[in-house]
Amino acid sequence: MGKIHHLQIKTGEIGDFVLLPEDPNRCENIAGQFQNPRLIAKNREYTTYTGKYKGLKVSVTSTGMGSPSAAIALEEIIKSGAKYCIRLGTSQKMQNYIKPGELIIPTAAVRQDGTSLEYAPIEFPAIADNTIVHALIAISRQKGLKSYEGIIMSNDTFYSDLSRLYLDSRKREKCWTDANVLSKDNESSALFTISYIRNIHLGSLLTATENLLNHKKVVTDKDEKRYYHLMTEICLEAFSKLNNSEKY
Amino acid sequence: MKDMIQRHLKCEKNKVNHFVLLPGDIERAKHISSHFFNSSIKISENREFHIYNGIYQNKPVAVCSTGIGCMSASVAIEELVNCGCQYFIRVGTCGALSPKVNIGDIIIVSGAVRGDGASKEYIPLAYPAVADHTMVNILKKEAEKKNIRYHAGIIRTHDAFYMESPFAFGDWKKRTKIWTETGVLGVENEASTLFVIGSLRKVKVGAVLVAVGHLLNRKKLRKENLQNSMDKAIIIACKTLVELQINKETYNG
Repeated sequence: MGKIHHLQIKTGEIGDFVLLPEDPNRCENIAGQFQNPRLIAKNREYTTYTGKYKGLKVSVTSTGMGSPSAAIALEEIIKSGAKYCIRLGTSQKMQNYIKPGELIIPTAAVRQDGTSLEYAPIEFPAIADNTIVHALIAISRQKGLKSYEGIIMSNDTFYSDLSRLYLDSRKREKCWTDANVLSKDNESSALFTISYIRNIHLGSLLTATENLLNHKKVVTDKDEKRYYHLMTEICLEAFSKLNNSEKY
Repeated sequence: MKDMIQRHLKCEKNKVNHFVLLPGDIERAKHISSHFFNSSIKISENREFHIYNGIYQNKPVAVCSTGIGCMSASVAIEELVNCGCQYFIRVGTCGALSPKVNIGDIIIVSGAVRGDGASKEYIPLAYPAVADHTMVNILKKEAEKKNIRYHAGIIRTHDAFYMESPFAFGDWKKRTKIWTETGVLGVENEASTLFVIGSLRKVKVGAVLVAVGHLLNRKKLRKENLQNSMDKAIIIACKTLVELQINKETYNG
């Protein structure tokens, strides 16, 4: 069996449980929280490590930025055997009440991306897997962390929302902020749509690093690194909880 | 407006219990109130909207029929929210679209394809019609406790009942193929708008459905079997409304 096109992994080289950060450079640190991590492949923006966590075979694969590359990563890890996936990453908050370091657990996403449209018509809902959402909530509460559960928005640009060159962005996104949308990322809506159609379990765990309402960065790089460490721990514990609870 | 007698439902603020079942059918509302509620009392009756208060396992609950379709369902939920209601579970029927689903099966809905017209007036189609995640979780747990088999997943809501049925003109199978391919479990007429309004007005909405017919093999459930499955769906929904009240702090955290 040959290697899968973009990820350069083989079937069976990754675990049932996979973490999906955007940045390939984060994979090494995330894999550092596994037992016996092994680098599987590095190609383009896709880096994959596999290891163990409390006896479970777990992997991390970077998706790159945006839904087009994230969709490729998801399709190829599913081909390689992934069953439970959690995207962990950053987002831009759309509600002022969300504080730095607080967690966002999306239950569904507004489909402002292009990729998911090729999978299903726009009226199809991009929803996170309920079992993953509840595992993430349970672990966050166990750790005494504040989390918000609700709808987020995913689109295909970064600077159209955050650059001061496009001053009407707040006006453009007002429709979503008014509709209680928590924050914005670039991958969740496509990942949610594809995971439902491909019949695997997938959710996201996010934190907010910028404020979409005033275009300001709200956390330092050092803090961001700390949040990633914490979010990785939550995801791994959630995987362990999912594995121990009865699957349906 | 919010403190007055509601225009269509003819009910007043805080007169309807805040935990509400939403069947489409007037007769089903009556069935739920007379067979499942204790101390059931009719609150109001106007057009297709019949409202009853009652007690289920010592907790206050209510039922309100929505009529068929998202137009009337949106009126029902808006006016119930105006009356202070906060928790809603649609109990109804659907046509099965997935080979995984058999007639008589119960579907716990996690999200809905927005094929309706009403929700489009609220917000663009990119916005997801998603069931409240806590509702989904409790509905599943209550079904498991009672050993009731269920499917959990996405269904399709649309406005023209006969366009996606064997009575439709043209190739109705071709029209529904995309939904079978994307794993949509069934098709019905109210959930998407109820979910969208739930997210916008910050109230919790869930849905539990019985597959009354199958669009792929054209099988249709007999009346007595429908009643049997529907009663199971009603019990799961009532139990969920009770559980939400017993452990209110847990679910509002």
